[in-house]
Amino acid sequence: MPLLEVRGLVKRFLGVTALDGVDFSIEPGELVSLIGPNGSGKTTLFNCVTGYLAPDGGRVLFRTRDVTRAAPHRMARLGLSRTFQQVSVFGRLTALENLLVFLQQHQEERLVARLLRTPRLRRLEGQAVERARMLLDLVGLSARAAAPAASLSYGQRKLLAFAAALMPDPELLLLDEPAAAVNPTMINQMKDHILALHRQGKTVLLVEHNMDVVMDISRRIVVLDHGQKIAEGPPEVIRRDPRVIEAYFGR
Amino acid sequence: MGRWTGVGLGGVAVVTPWLVAAVAPGQQRYIVHVLIFTILFAALALSYDLVVGHVGSLSLAHPAFFGVGAYTAGILSTRAGWPFVADLLAAVILAGTVAALVGVPLFRLVEHSFAVGTLGFALVAWIIATNWVEVTRGPLCITGIPKPTLGLPGGPTLTISTLPAYYWLALGALAAVMALYRGLTTFRLGRAFHAVRDNEPLAAAAGIDPLKYRMLAFTVAGALAGGVGALYAHYLSVICPEEMTVALTVNLLVIVFLGGVGSLRGVLVGAALFTALPEILRLAPTWRLVIYGGLLLVIVIRSPGGIEALLPRPAGARSGR
Repeated sequence: MPLLEVRGLVKRFLGVTALDGVDFSIEPGELVSLIGPNGSGKTTLFNCVTGYLAPDGGRVLFRTRDVTRAAPHRMARLGLSRTFQQVSVFGRLTALENLLVFLQQHQEERLVARLLRTPRLRRLEGQAVERARMLLDLVGLSARAAAPAASLSYGQRKLLAFAAALMPDPELLLLDEPAAAVNPTMINQMKDHILALHRQGKTVLLVEHNMDVVMDISRRIVVLDHGQKIAEGPPEVIRRDPRVIEAYFGR
Repeated sequence: MGRWTGVGLGGVAVVTPWLVAAVAPGQQRYIVHVLIFTILFAALALSYDLVVGHVGSLSLAHPAFFGVGAYTAGILSTRAGWPFVADLLAAVILAGTVAALVGVPLFRLVEHSFAVGTLGFALVAWIIATNWVEVTRGPLCITGIPKPTLGLPGGPTLTISTLPAYYWLALGALAAVMALYRGLTTFRLGRAFHAVRDNEPLAAAAGIDPLKYRMLAFTVAGALAGGVGALYAHYLSVICPEEMTVALTVNLLVIVFLGGVGSLRGVLVGAALFTALPEILRLAPTWRLVIYGGLLLVIVIRSPGGIEALLPRPAGARSGR
């Protein structure tokens, strides 16, 4: 039973068809990469799956449940965590608070309980702080826990956003170009983090431009071009697929 | 602000009428009157800051909710003979309901169009207050609003008839607003508000429904503004349409932005300074407004973060926020 299933997804922008009937699915525990040239519809697909864009046709199923057009915050609470291509943090919250925000909504409490800070909520908060410190440690940001996120470097913010997405221990992690615009050392670091998640049995969908990263870590690759799926398979097959080569390098 | 500093300042605030009586016996009435105004403005500005400072929506609708509260209390107490506590409660509930209702269409707008939309709503509210003569008496104002009486029906009652008594009533109301403000803007609720303010799409990715939190802040702010409006109407015993014009919005913007947006301490300091300052400047009547305007300019240029940014940072301030 696939964890995520996309059936015949269509998205048009003012007559431009960004997604033209895309089908694909992810089984629990898989690490799948979504690749394609610029403008092939990768991020559009991401946004349609996570509720940031409403598709014009097709369906999105999460654990066989129809979630087409569900709002982004609903998707997040169902257990689907995403990162953004542009580094995205809460600038005026501290690094630690940035992580805490990502867990607290999964422990929805009555408004009054939040206002009065019930003992139960204080206990949950204590556990959340512990988990957040563990994740900050994982991405090497422990020393900056109390710094406002806006004061972190580009790379640090990217790592912070990645750690934040892990905070609720999501069923499915969607990463939008985690290795874009960061230095080679950090690319390797990201690769290691993603592989470690995979080994722990997490399901990951990766949108990535960096071919080395993709070929290195993916077990299965889905290739998009002009809004259509043109190939799908393990890295060694994709590498030699004539349609993929044509899409990337031209005829 | 540390707990003991807070308790100390609170204690000073409670005994202030006696201090004033001792220090300036001839001026007591006037000074306490200015202090009551300051307290009511502080409470109103704190409610305003919930929306502007914590969810980052520049609402210009606040005078409308203040007016709804003031007129509700005024009309119910003069025409229907409602007791003070009941009309205050009605003012809070009605203003909150109006905020919740207009919030639904207004929050379909974002950023500048939201500001313009709320401004339009405030103007409509003011026009209704001026022209719906059967209910509001229009420019003739609602007059003869009685002094507040506290107490249960049948039991002993306490009429707030002196200035110091009203001062303590207002102070109690401010304390309640401050407690609610802190509860809403710290811990998990505050974090969710600030997440929406800093980055709305990311807040949604964290599982926060941005609209829900914006509506919550807007509705609570409207309800509190209605409560302050009721206290204001009872204090002055009269409420006119002019009380809910854009001039009030400008006052609130000055207090919140020059005091310190999103900060309890900043807003309190702003309210104290910008309510008392125009009064103090009455000593120089000719140049009063020129000096006031000049001071505002100096603050904006020297400290764009407001006065709060100039105050010393208390230890552990971040964790407390």
